[in-house]
Amino acid sequence: MASIEVSGASITFTATQSKQVTLKEYLVKGLFRRTVNPQIAIHALTDISLSAKDGDRIGVIGHNGAGKTTLLKLLAGIYTPTDGKCDVKGSVCSLFDISVGFENEATGWENIVYRSYLQGESPATLKGKMDEIAEFSELGEFLTLPVKGYSAGMRMRLAFAIATTAAPEVLLVDEVLAVGDMAFQIKAKARMKSMMSSSRLMVMVSHDLNTIKDTCNRAIWMRRGKFVMEGTPKDVVAAYNRDVAEHAAAAEAQVKAATQPKPAQAAQAAAAKVA
Amino acid sequence: MIQHASAMWKFRHFLMALVKLDLRQRYRKSILGIGWSLLNPIAMTIVFTVVFSKVLGDGADPIGYAAAVLTGMAVWSFLRDSALTGCRCFPQNEAYIRQSPIPYTVYTLRTALGQAIHSMIALGVVVVMITLYQGDPGVLLRVPLMLPGLVLLFFAAWAAATIAAFTTVFFNDTQHLLEVAAQIVFFLTPIMYPRKLLDDKQMGWIVDANPVYWLLELTRSPLLTGELPSGQMYLAGLGVTFALVGLAAGVVAWLHKRVIFVL
Repeated sequence: MASIEVSGASITFTATQSKQVTLKEYLVKGLFRRTVNPQIAIHALTDISLSAKDGDRIGVIGHNGAGKTTLLKLLAGIYTPTDGKCDVKGSVCSLFDISVGFENEATGWENIVYRSYLQGESPATLKGKMDEIAEFSELGEFLTLPVKGYSAGMRMRLAFAIATTAAPEVLLVDEVLAVGDMAFQIKAKARMKSMMSSSRLMVMVSHDLNTIKDTCNRAIWMRRGKFVMEGTPKDVVAAYNRDVAEHAAAAEAQVKAATQPKPAQAAQAAAAKVA
Repeated sequence: MIQHASAMWKFRHFLMALVKLDLRQRYRKSILGIGWSLLNPIAMTIVFTVVFSKVLGDGADPIGYAAAVLTGMAVWSFLRDSALTGCRCFPQNEAYIRQSPIPYTVYTLRTALGQAIHSMIALGVVVVMITLYQGDPGVLLRVPLMLPGLVLLFFAAWAAATIAAFTTVFFNDTQHLLEVAAQIVFFLTPIMYPRKLLDDKQMGWIVDANPVYWLLELTRSPLLTGELPSGQMYLAGLGVTFALVGLAAGVVAWLHKRVIFVL
């Protein structure tokens, strides 16, 4: 039984303009109450409530920076809510940021071991999966070489092969992964499909609205860390599309106004021409 | 707390695999390989027995002096290096931190275990050296007597690495401050010189007030004298370790959720 229970969760954190504060600066700030490095409060998520159970396929849409990835990271347990509660039951598999986090000096085989352990495998359960992962990645001989020599595409293949071997109850996906060459992409899509159908619960973030309509039974539209709308994928996508179209029209009008010469300027230009 | 520990236990395979990798990398691509961790204590033994035993020791027992200094150095550099490499711990493991919700203390344990194995090799050299010099295999029986001290030392080093790691995320000059502090503590602790030197000048209180000294003695005195330290000394060592572990636990409880936003 897998379930997601989020109630009134918020994530707020303060960021400084330069990334880190030195101890010196901290003391100076304490003494003089003024700093060259002001703190900015960032409300990544505000008062989010979400409840999902077995069988739910949730698609999340919204502009960049709307908080979609933050929501996934909250569900994955990487972020803890600064307010409210987040409770996810069931084994979680998160497919985001997968191509980072290799031990560069270690070989492909060794990295398969590290990653799998990180996903909660044990030596006993891993034994049978090693060959399957190697085969799916199609990296063959390259697996005996250190990962630092791999191309971006090869890393992605290996990461995808490792990450998707698990059979999770809760699947969290960020964007549809563009993996490797055409042949591999077809394979990867097929694997994703089978994972999506075998997992009990899925939350997916995507900019591909058709994918959301095809695979999900619920959809959420997010803006500035809040849910704007929840409902069936069809309704939410339609509303989102209307909003995007309105914005596009407004932006177009703005561009037009900026590039067209203003009447006064036009008259001036005409006068200059006559002169 | 128990939840934290059970979560760590779940990822023990991950941890051990990475510690193994770290050790291999430390000695790979070097001419001497693992010999590097032997070379340093052996080279220092020569210098200490020949020169420093006359300057800082009483000159009567050069090997005894060298053994005391080498044991002291092994213990001290374990503590210092755990704290200093702990500072780089979270940036080094950032990719894992951003991917997986496992307790961050796994990463500081990775640091502490790597340093511990390195220091064990150095301590092994000292044990072998004393055994050979005294021609008495009975010296090897002193090794079990060191164990309680070593266990306390390990937890203290792990706590130090954890505190350093969390502090560095919020203040990135922590490592430089620690280096300065380590230099001062090194000179204030009777590592290069016998404690008697300070006692004679009525400055023994500096040693008594030094927590590193209590941890050091629990490991050093059983090896050099073959006797268990007094219960009072164990209490002192236990107190120091508990204070450090308590502080580390407090830091983890306070900052664990916030690190990801600042890293």
